[in-house]
Amino acid sequence: MGQRDIISYETSVRRKSGIRTAAKMCRLDVESAVKGHEQHVNIIPSSRYMVGRGVKRKLSECEDPTLDLPYPQQRQMVLDLCLNKLQSCQRRAEPSLHRSVLLANTLRQIQREMRQEGVLHSLESPPPAPSLPQALAAQRQSPEVAPTPSDRPDTPVATFSPSPLCEDDNAVSGCIGLHKRPWSEDDGKSPDLLLGSFEITNSTSYLTDLQLDDIFEDIDTSMYDPSDFSVLACPSPRVNSGSSLGSDDNLKAFSSSSALQVCLNDLDHIMEILVRS
Amino acid sequence: MITVSFRPAPCICTMLSGAGGGSNDVQWCFSQVKGAIDDDVAEADIISTVEFNHSGELLATGDKGGRVVIFQQEIENKSQPQCRSEYNVYSTFQSHEPEFDYLKSLEIEEKINKIRWLPQKNAAQFLLSTNDKTIKLWKISERDKRPEGYNLKEEDGRYIDPNTVTALRVPVFRPMDLMVEASPRRVFANAHTYHINSISINSDHETYLSADDLRINLWHQEITDRSFNIVDIKPANMEELTEVITAAEFHPHQCNTFVYSSSKGTIRLCDMRESALCDKYSKLFEEPEDPSNRSFFSEIISSISDVKFSHNGRYMMTRDYLSVKIWDLNMENRPVETYQVHEYLRSKLCSLYENDCIFDKFECCWNGNDSVVMTGSYNNFFRMFDRGQRRDMTLEASRESSKPRQVLKPRKVCAGGKRKKDEISVDSLDFNKKILHTAWHPQDNIIAVATTNNLYIFQDKVN
Repeated sequence: MGQRDIISYETSVRRKSGIRTAAKMCRLDVESAVKGHEQHVNIIPSSRYMVGRGVKRKLSECEDPTLDLPYPQQRQMVLDLCLNKLQSCQRRAEPSLHRSVLLANTLRQIQREMRQEGVLHSLESPPPAPSLPQALAAQRQSPEVAPTPSDRPDTPVATFSPSPLCEDDNAVSGCIGLHKRPWSEDDGKSPDLLLGSFEITNSTSYLTDLQLDDIFEDIDTSMYDPSDFSVLACPSPRVNSGSSLGSDDNLKAFSSSSALQVCLNDLDHIMEILVRS
Repeated sequence: MITVSFRPAPCICTMLSGAGGGSNDVQWCFSQVKGAIDDDVAEADIISTVEFNHSGELLATGDKGGRVVIFQQEIENKSQPQCRSEYNVYSTFQSHEPEFDYLKSLEIEEKINKIRWLPQKNAAQFLLSTNDKTIKLWKISERDKRPEGYNLKEEDGRYIDPNTVTALRVPVFRPMDLMVEASPRRVFANAHTYHINSISINSDHETYLSADDLRINLWHQEITDRSFNIVDIKPANMEELTEVITAAEFHPHQCNTFVYSSSKGTIRLCDMRESALCDKYSKLFEEPEDPSNRSFFSEIISSISDVKFSHNGRYMMTRDYLSVKIWDLNMENRPVETYQVHEYLRSKLCSLYENDCIFDKFECCWNGNDSVVMTGSYNNFFRMFDRGQRRDMTLEASRESSKPRQVLKPRKVCAGGKRKKDEISVDSLDFNKKILHTAWHPQDNIIAVATTNNLYIFQDKVN
C-alpha cells in the first residue's frame, strides 16, 4: 500500500507543478524500442512501476537499463496504470466520459486476456492489498488501487460499497443505480461500475436511472432545465409539472438520507416510493 | 520510398521532406503572434479553438476562460494582390461564464470548445460558440455613425424641456469612432447531458448540429427551446457503453448528409432523409487494424479526435493520435491517403499513456483548394502534408523564430540512431507544448496556429 502511494503521490505532484516535460521512458517503451527498432542511446528507463514481486520501487530516474520485461508483467503494469487513472477519473471535478470509456475498454481487454490465460487464479501478482472494503473505507478520499488479479473469485463475501465512487457526490443521484456487488467476484465489472456511476453523475435526467428506465422511458427529460428537478436534492418543496415524483414529504425524507451509503434496502425503498406514486 | 498512386489503392505516404525550393513551394514566414509573452500561462488564457470566417477576413479564438477574441484582417494595400496583411483585435467578449450545477456538485466549465461562423447575410457577422453544455449565437456588428441633433435630448442624453425649444431640426447621422458590439442573440441550452464536442452549420443556412459524447442534436438557428435528436448511441445499460462520439460535421454542400466519428476509429455517414433518428448509418468508414502494430493502446490511439470535410465535399479527413487519414466518401473500407504525423511516438505510447498525453485531441484542417492538410504535434511543431506534391513539412511555432517576415525553417525529429545537426531527438521533445488547434485561411496561404496561450499567424512569403 505504501509503495503505491509513493507512486501516485509523485505523479500527482509532478502534474500539479507542471513539471512533466520530456517523455519519461516507461518500461514498456524501452522494451518495444529494443525489440524492433534501433538502439536508443540516451534512454533512461523509468522504473516507477513494479517490476516483479516484492521489488521495492525506486524513486530516482536512473535505473539499470532495459530488463527483459515479460509480457505478463507489461500487461500488469498497464493494468495498474489503467486502474489508477480510472480511479482518479472519478475524483476529478470534470470527469470525461470519453476518457473513462477508453480506459474502461483497455481495462476490459486486459482482463479478458488475463482471464483467458487463467491468470486470475495465479499468485503471480503485486503484494496483496489489504482487504478491499477496509481499504476503501479507510481511504475515503484516495481510494486504494483496486482489484488485483489475485482476488479469489470464489469468496464473494467481501461486499464492496460503492463509496469511493459516489462519495464526494452527496446527491442521491450519485448513488442510485450503483449495485452493491462483490468486488472480487468479477473484475470485469469494475469499469462498468464506474460507467454506471458516471452516467448518473452526469445525467441531468437522473430520473431515467438504470432501474427506473422502464417506468420513465416515455418521458423525455433531456430538455428540461435541471433546476426543475431540484426536488430530489433540495428539501424545498417544488413540484415539477413534468414528472410524477410523489409527495414532497417522501422526497424530503429521501434526500436527507442521500449522504449515507445507499444499500440495496434503500434502493428497494426508493423503488417503492416512486412506484407508489 | 514507396511509390504512391493517388487513386483507389491505399497508400501510406512516405513523403519527401521538403525544405522549400521550387517555384511551387510555399515558404512560410512568421507574420504575427498574439498573446502574452511570459512563460507563466494563466489557465484562462489557454486557447481552446481557432476559426477563420468564410471570407478569411475575421479570425476568432476561444479560450479556457470563456472569452472570444476576434481579429480582423487589415490589408495594407488593397490594390496589390499579394500584400502583407495583419490581423488586429476587432472584438473581445465574454461568451460563456462558469456555471455550477448544484445537483451534481459539478462545475460546468466555461471553456469554449468550438466556434463556427455563420455565412454572412448582411452587414453583421454571426458566430456560434459553445462550451460543454450551452451553445450561443453571437451577433457582431459595427457601429460607426451616431445620430446627433435631437430636439428633445442633449448630446449627453439629458432631456430638454419642450417648452424651451424654439426651433426644430432633423437629427443627422455623423461619423463616430468605430465601435464593435457583440451581443448574444440566441442561447441554446439544456439539450445535452454530456459534453458538447462539436457544432457544425448546415449548408441550408438554417440549421446546425451539436454533438456530445452520446448524442447529436439538430437545431434551427432561430429556435432555442427545441432541438431534434438525430443520433443517439447511448446504450440502455450504461455499463455496456464502449464507444463515444468524438466529432461531427455536416457535408459542405449536401444539407442532408453529416458524419460523426467515434472513439473506436470509425466514421459514420448519415443521411437525414432516411429516417428521423439516424442511428443506422448510411456508410461506415473503418480501416482494419494492422496486426503488426497491435498494442495495449491500439484502441486509444485509434480514437478519432477530429473530422473535417474537404471544401469540395468529395473527401473527409480524420485525425487520430498518430496519423491523418484522407477518405474518399465513396470508399468505406480504407482511407485513400494516410499521413504519419509523429510515428516516432509509437514506441513511446506507454509513457504518453502514463502522462496522459495519449488522450490529447489534435485537430486538423484543409487549405482552401484541398491540396494541403495541416495538423499539430508536440514541442510546438505542426505538420503540413501536400497531397499533390507528396511533400510534408514540419514547422515550429516559437518565439525564437518570430522576427517579422522570418522564413520558418523546417524541423526534423530524429527517431533513432545518430542525431544530425539541427535535428531534435524524441526524448527532448516538450510534451507540454502541444499544438492542438490550427486553422487555414479559406482562400490564401495564411495560417493560424495556437500554442498553449499564443496565437501565431504565418503567411507565405511575399516577394
